[in-house]
Amino acid sequence: MPEPVLELADVRYRYPTGAEALRGVTFAVQPGEHVALAGPNGAGKSTLVLAMAGFVSAAGTIRVAGHTLTPGSARDVRRHLGLVFQDADDQLFMPRVADDVAFGPATMGLEPEEVRARVGEALAAVGLEGYEDREPYHLSVGEKRRAALATVLAMRPQILVLDEPSADLDPRGRRMLIDLLRPMTSTLMVITHDLDLVVETCRRVVVLDAGAVVADGPVREVLSDRALVEAHGLEVPLRLAQGAPDMQGT
Amino acid sequence: MHHMMLDHFANRSTPAHRLDPAAKTVAILAVVLATVLVGRDRFLPLVPVAAALAAYHAVSRTPVRYALRRLAVVSPLAVAVVVLFPFLEPGRVVIRWPVGGAEIVVTEEGLVRAGHLLAKFVLCSWAALLLLATTRFQDLMQGLARLRVPRVLVTQLAFLYRYLWVVMDEGMHMRMARAARDGGLGPWRLRFRSRAGVVGVLFLRSWDRAERIYRAMTARGFDGTLHAPRRGRMRVADWLFVTCTVALAAAVVVGDHLAHA
Repeated sequence: MPEPVLELADVRYRYPTGAEALRGVTFAVQPGEHVALAGPNGAGKSTLVLAMAGFVSAAGTIRVAGHTLTPGSARDVRRHLGLVFQDADDQLFMPRVADDVAFGPATMGLEPEEVRARVGEALAAVGLEGYEDREPYHLSVGEKRRAALATVLAMRPQILVLDEPSADLDPRGRRMLIDLLRPMTSTLMVITHDLDLVVETCRRVVVLDAGAVVADGPVREVLSDRALVEAHGLEVPLRLAQGAPDMQGT
Repeated sequence: MHHMMLDHFANRSTPAHRLDPAAKTVAILAVVLATVLVGRDRFLPLVPVAAALAAYHAVSRTPVRYALRRLAVVSPLAVAVVVLFPFLEPGRVVIRWPVGGAEIVVTEEGLVRAGHLLAKFVLCSWAALLLLATTRFQDLMQGLARLRVPRVLVTQLAFLYRYLWVVMDEGMHMRMARAARDGGLGPWRLRFRSRAGVVGVLFLRSWDRAERIYRAMTARGFDGTLHAPRRGRMRVADWLFVTCTVALAAAVVVGDHLAHA
């Protein structure tokens, strides 16, 4: 078995206020896997993401692409862990789309030629060719989301981690995102409570509730277990529900 | 939401727009400096400056209404100072206005001084707004970076511009949310308090956002230095433009000085 891209072992974190946010999270992600991290609000999903990138120092072991996360290695780890934040306005901070996509590669110290090539490649990968000179402020929500994805793709991380990628998107924007993520061959982790998105983009789901993993398995199996998902503040996704009630009455 | 951007007309393509941003910045600064250096109460040296700005304005096809509106936005401060001069400057009295036992007088020297200051203010603002009307903000930042303005300063400006609109959006949304509930009515104390609340929340949100942006930067390896690629090069037309404008500015200053030496 190849080495996992991401390994979490007994990850624990306590807020400064004393509340336990993560209570011994353990799972691993294999190369090429598309994994969803699902759970209700307040389950600890975002805290776990911040812990994986070393933004909060959690107890336990976190390994990304063979690098064990320590305060000293956080920079190396972040090179391999491509984090796409929920609010694209936070991610797109440069005045031009191309400069923003170039930010990561340039910071990695790549040659200008290589940086340019990667910018073109990343923008093409998210379907934003010709957007180089645009200003992030003028993009639509969907375009911003895709541009934010490009800024991380340009760094060619070992694993892409997307925090609530479908939040605020209209159906068309959401569809474009799904069509983009689904065929990706890179390792992908989607943090969301949009379970229909999970069904369409991932094979495996890890359900987190109250800071602990409560289920880990194939999407179809885990998410069609009505008792399980409802016990943890989620709902069986429409794509998996049989005879699900709708607003049309019968 | 849609805002009238500071560089709303900067996406056009006229000879004025196509000039190098660094060249435009230097030229405009020269014009502003010359205007400021013209001796007190002298109007004649300001005429060539105005002519040059008018020519640039015409070439850039910036709408006059837009320019006037921009000018109106920045003018209150200057006007507040200028209107006092006719009353305070000693000199030949042109208007007497008895008020009770005292008398308010307007002097000719005061009027001239006020007119002169107002003219200078209008010219300087005009120059600045033309620079913004013909240069996209991002290009302006590139220009400043090439002019060796400290990177930190340019970065700060770029960030300010990038997030100004985001913060404005947030503020407008909160204002609407508040207006939707109080309809702008209610006792003024309550209204004042809710307004103060909006400002406070806006501040906290901006603080949070700043933290999130920094985190997003760090996640992509930010270590304190911004590696922004430099673009653009001065062409013959740009050099010509800078040389002519700086020469004109120098002529204005030197001419004014010699004529009154």
